[in-house]
Amino acid sequence: MRGQSHECGVSRMNLMLIVLGKECRDNFRDRRTIISSFSLALLGPALFIGMMTFVLNTAVGESSEPVEFAIVGADHAPELVAHLARQNTIIHTIESADPKQEVIDDLRDLILVIPSNYRDRFTRGEINSVALIYDGSEIGSNRRHFGTVRNMIRSYARMIGILRLQLRGVDPTITSPVIVQEVDTASPAARALSILATLPYLLVLVIFMGGFYLAIDATAGEREHGSLEPLLSQPVSRAQLVLGKLFAASVFSGASLMAFLVSLILLIPIVPFHKVGMSLVIGPLSAIGIFLIAVPLMVFGAALLTLVASFAKSYKEAQTYLTVVILVPTLPLIVAQLMNVESSALLMLVPSLSQATLIGELMTGAPISALHVALSVAATSAGAALFAWLAVNLYSRERILI
Amino acid sequence: MIRVEGLSKSFNKGRIKALEDVSFAADDGKVTALLGPNGAGKSTSLRILATVMSPDAGTAHIGAHEVTADPMAVRREIGVLPHASGLYERLTGEENIAYFGALHGIDKNTLAARISNLIELLGMEEFATRKVSGFSQGQRIKVALARAMVHDPRHVLLDEPTNGLDVMATRALREIILRLKNEGRCVLFSSHVMQEVTNLCDDVIVIADGRVKFQGTLDAFKSQARESDLEEAFIKIIGPQAGSVA
Repeated sequence: MRGQSHECGVSRMNLMLIVLGKECRDNFRDRRTIISSFSLALLGPALFIGMMTFVLNTAVGESSEPVEFAIVGADHAPELVAHLARQNTIIHTIESADPKQEVIDDLRDLILVIPSNYRDRFTRGEINSVALIYDGSEIGSNRRHFGTVRNMIRSYARMIGILRLQLRGVDPTITSPVIVQEVDTASPAARALSILATLPYLLVLVIFMGGFYLAIDATAGEREHGSLEPLLSQPVSRAQLVLGKLFAASVFSGASLMAFLVSLILLIPIVPFHKVGMSLVIGPLSAIGIFLIAVPLMVFGAALLTLVASFAKSYKEAQTYLTVVILVPTLPLIVAQLMNVESSALLMLVPSLSQATLIGELMTGAPISALHVALSVAATSAGAALFAWLAVNLYSRERILI
Repeated sequence: MIRVEGLSKSFNKGRIKALEDVSFAADDGKVTALLGPNGAGKSTSLRILATVMSPDAGTAHIGAHEVTADPMAVRREIGVLPHASGLYERLTGEENIAYFGALHGIDKNTLAARISNLIELLGMEEFATRKVSGFSQGQRIKVALARAMVHDPRHVLLDEPTNGLDVMATRALREIILRLKNEGRCVLFSSHVMQEVTNLCDDVIVIADGRVKFQGTLDAFKSQARESDLEEAFIKIIGPQAGSVA
């Protein structure tokens, strides 16, 4: 519709705020919205913290626990026994007529049997065979302990082998042209970190889900309900209406994020980071920083949700569309994670990905480049402005009523 | 005063001609009925007057302002009761009224005074502070009407207002409309219920197939058709084929 608006700038803002206020108040009374938006925000951290605590508690149990086992015939190989005793072990020297039976009968978990001819064969340079008896069918630390002791014995054997070659004037590395170095990155700390790495992704999800239902209710819901037509007869411009609804969704998105952050800050101290020599403190200042970085994304998300929901003629239809739309911000994150993309200025131009990256840096205490922040804010805001403009455009057409 | 001249409107890329060269007028201090079968173009006319749609051709003046030239000014002068009352279920009756009042820029104190006035006038004391969900049709119409009147508009547009109302509610609505007329306002309502027309309106505009078939006083309507029965008069005027598809 053409036509002049005779309102001055101040009252224009006022009308938008009136629309915003009504949408917020209206949706605050909607139980479904509140439960959906805020349950994710409050339960998310609890789940998250729970997972990390569990991982750190069990994992650490693995590495620092000493391996306990029994040795039969310990006097036949005192140097081997001494070597084993120097590792993280608890050794019981025992006599046994049938060590195998003892393991079968569950009297012992792990028994090392050293034959009586060990010393003679050793002196003559012949191969010695020691028996390491365990019950492989048992799930639990048994297998691990078996592997640990076996590796200890092997390293001892290798040590002896190298010495012997050296004594004979042979370079011991001849026998091992290729060495495989095992680097197991699944250390407890690494595992904890990989869980922590999902946090920015969770935050982006919380931001989008926060405004989800309000965006639907304020657009498609209003259309379906028939309350849009009388609203359009009021002396409010389409822009004021759309922006009021859009910013209301942003407000809910922000409230959701705030609830999440508060919950996170309160629960983080529970996680036993010290067990792996890590420490993670998300203080109020970091939380404020995270929130500020996320603000453009809140508006971006609200604008996108509002725009797409405006195309729908009913609440259910909008829900279908928006469920797909939620994938849009999460895809860049998944791709970046899989491809191990490095933080860069170019990355900052991708909404949701830039915020996730910056938040991750903020959390780990890495220095944040002002340029990166500026790019992130600018690019995301530009996206938000584009969606908002398209939404206002849509509302200016008569199609919105039919 | 409402003055419509040569209004044309089509939908679906010209395939559906909703209005064709429609002209009519409605005076202040009078109740004017827009009468016609379903699909005649009544709602479209009202929507154009309410500035939610724009015509393809022609003009529509409400008071001194034209709907396409100055929609904002028009909106300040009209109170609209559209087909679906469109109230917000989670807000109370009062809050519904207050929202629109705020959108009209009425300050808080004046708004509060007006709202309590309207509540009294329309007999809404019992339910005004309750949430709208669960209201009966009659209660909804009252809230919708109060909402439409909160800014004291000179012109009132009602789209089939007695839809779904029982006898008592219809009578109550009739009284309200008569009061609005006596206050000097221009009341335009659309209907296809003959009885409403006889009991209420001063002037009649008959629309069928997007065209004006008759315009004049109620008595002139009856005598033109040479029928004292309104329904027969109506059928005669709109023609035998009109509206049979709707």
